[in-house]
Amino acid sequence: MNDVKPIRIFMTGVGGQGTLTATTLLAKTVLASGLPVTSGEIHGMAQRGGVVESTVLIGCKSPKIGHGEADILMGFEPMETVRALPYLKRGGLVLSSTEFMPPLSVAMGKQECPTMDEVRERIAACTDKAYYMASQTIGIEAGAVQSGNIALLGALCATGALPFGPEALEATIKANLPAKIQAVNLKALAMGVAALEA
Amino acid sequence: MAHPLLADTPGQTHLLLGNEAIVRGAVEAGLQVATCYPGTPSSEVPDTLFRLSPDGKYTFEYSVNEKVALEVAGGATLSGAMTLCTMKHVGVNVAADPLMTLCYTGTPGGLVLLSADDPGCHSSQNEQDNRYYARIAGMPVLEPATAQEAKDMTRDGLLLSKKHGAPFLLRTTTRVNHLRGSVEFGPVTEPGTPEGFKRNPSKFVPIPAFSRPMHVALLERLEALRAEAETSPYNTVTGSGTIGVACSGISRAYVADALAASGLGDTVRVLELGFSNPLPETMCLDFLKSVSKLLVVEELEPILENDLRVLAQKNGLSLEIMGKGTLPANNEFNVTMVENAIRELAGAPAAAVETCPAAELPMRPPNLCAGCPHRGTYFAAKKVFGDDAVYSSDIGCYTLGILPPLQAADFLLCMGSSISAGCGAARAAGQTVVAFIGDSTFFHSGLTGVANAVFNQHDILIVVLDNRTTAMTGHQPNPSVDRTILGENDSPLSIEAAVRGLGVTEVREVNPFNQKKTLAAFEELKELSGVRVLIAKEPCPLFTRRVYKKTAPQVAYVADSCAGRFDCLDKLACPAMYKSGGKAAVNPILCNGCMLCLQICGHIKAKKRGS
Repeated sequence: MNDVKPIRIFMTGVGGQGTLTATTLLAKTVLASGLPVTSGEIHGMAQRGGVVESTVLIGCKSPKIGHGEADILMGFEPMETVRALPYLKRGGLVLSSTEFMPPLSVAMGKQECPTMDEVRERIAACTDKAYYMASQTIGIEAGAVQSGNIALLGALCATGALPFGPEALEATIKANLPAKIQAVNLKALAMGVAALEA
Repeated sequence: MAHPLLADTPGQTHLLLGNEAIVRGAVEAGLQVATCYPGTPSSEVPDTLFRLSPDGKYTFEYSVNEKVALEVAGGATLSGAMTLCTMKHVGVNVAADPLMTLCYTGTPGGLVLLSADDPGCHSSQNEQDNRYYARIAGMPVLEPATAQEAKDMTRDGLLLSKKHGAPFLLRTTTRVNHLRGSVEFGPVTEPGTPEGFKRNPSKFVPIPAFSRPMHVALLERLEALRAEAETSPYNTVTGSGTIGVACSGISRAYVADALAASGLGDTVRVLELGFSNPLPETMCLDFLKSVSKLLVVEELEPILENDLRVLAQKNGLSLEIMGKGTLPANNEFNVTMVENAIRELAGAPAAAVETCPAAELPMRPPNLCAGCPHRGTYFAAKKVFGDDAVYSSDIGCYTLGILPPLQAADFLLCMGSSISAGCGAARAAGQTVVAFIGDSTFFHSGLTGVANAVFNQHDILIVVLDNRTTAMTGHQPNPSVDRTILGENDSPLSIEAAVRGLGVTEVREVNPFNQKKTLAAFEELKELSGVRVLIAKEPCPLFTRRVYKKTAPQVAYVADSCAGRFDCLDKLACPAMYKSGGKAAVNPILCNGCMLCLQICGHIKAKKRGS
């Protein structure tokens, strides 16, 4: 286990977004690539619109990521990306959705979400390696809003930050997702890769 | 084809959730009986056993509470069945009574009790460390750190339990239950038929004359188990050097990663205890003698630390032992925290970790779902009682009623306490008390509270929030449900019949989405005294969608006439509603069509879903 360079990926999103499905797919991809993987998730409140945080760790024994330990931060919602920044190593890689899912206090008009410019600014203060995409919109275009997570995962694989590329994720989707939702997710993956390269 | 978790496919590797790995371990051991009460972070163990039960060769039940679950499990193991009983840490408090005695009677068929502890209170009311229960009761303890160990320790715990006739505590923490890791499968043992109960009163009936020798036998069993711990593959010493780290449970994973990160790996000897009680004293003493300085790494209480301090004192060793003080006795650890403790031990400077600052952002607390029937009940209760009543709450989704604007949870102790603690609060100073309890919690430990309330002539309004399932933990069945993921409940219990049977005469039942009738029922019951019960009955909308396969045909929308008063948003806090351009609006995708909002504002209308 010690000869594999550790990579810690912190993922965050909102309950009901499919964050945990994306986490498991990535963990399965790591395993299928012959690398030691541990993944962690905190749920229980996941159904109720709360924050859902999960982890995928390559070459580590622990499933947890502490502050300043993540090499990669995947934010499926931009405000949650910012909230999770303390977990990121300074200079680490960020991939974030640009589409807000306002919490109740914002929907009720009691508080305001930061603007996307503020989000970019905050992230830029931590790292210059950040990619953004409208992943929910990509998901809807691919055929299901939840597949937007796969677009972001596809983009992550295409950055070269992981020891495998998008084709490994493609193989995991084909091997693990039910046939009827495979096409949508494969399309989302391709769109995510394309969005990164655009 | 059998599900992978049930199939006899030794050598295969699967990525499993810690809780799924526990199921696999039990299947490999030849599991015959499984009982549980669900509770995060343990729930995926029973839920997986339940889902696979039509094909599994074990019998499974969701028991009504943890005490009952452990008693059913106890009877099963006394009758020779290899038995698994699962619960969250606070559930062991409920099950503590049979637990103490099972350690005396022993468990001829084998018994593993899963206690899923929750350092960090991810989904619990406290951080109690159930390794203490093992010390009170006299139980061997296994503490996995990986998915592979979760599987292997469950299997070996069951086999060792059967061999020694002693119940084992499989003590996990949230991170272990909810991690995923690769698990290499072993062979599956055919369970066969349990031998059946063999009469032996001096062994199984703890009257004082028998209890005294039973205690002696327990102490002897613990010594035999100590010998097992001395040679257990889960207890290891690795590394070289003159400073030492001793660790157990998930802390072993943090220590491994911290040593790799710090580059101190070659200078530290590491004692890992996966089989942590009874303490393998010979092994630990050899380890203590081999180091000049020691750091004990364990989350929560200083249990291993105190064990090692006692052992050092007994043997006249004067090495320095660091533990609590260097590391906290609350919350979870992480790799950096453990790395810095090891650096302190080694006299090395702290790791340089550059973090990004936290931002002030709107919070995203969990909330009652759109279409949750509890919102209707709370809204009506607050309208009738306002701030004049004390709201005694209980454990379930409905505890989320604590949040504004509903604010319908004033105090809470434990499962079922809404009724009994509510009675105490009402009697102490004569205040009006409204108690809220869910359907599963009612059968878990509300029944005794109702009996007590009637017997002692308490003055309380009990509201049973009956959403037809155990919603919070993932829609597990309870005695009154109509349906489960496997089909109809053939013999549902009636909450109304139960409370009437316990002597309550003032019982009403309403659908909380019918505000007029719900308000009328609250008004009527407010004027009465004594024990009164209102059953607010309407299924959880998520359960309706998943199990009844139904969606409300209509959704709400806000008409253009909306005057922008925002009463709907301010009073209901429904996640399907939002402010848009000076008016209220409804997100038709999130709306579950409960139509509560239509009843508080004439500008909100119904339309066909998708129109």
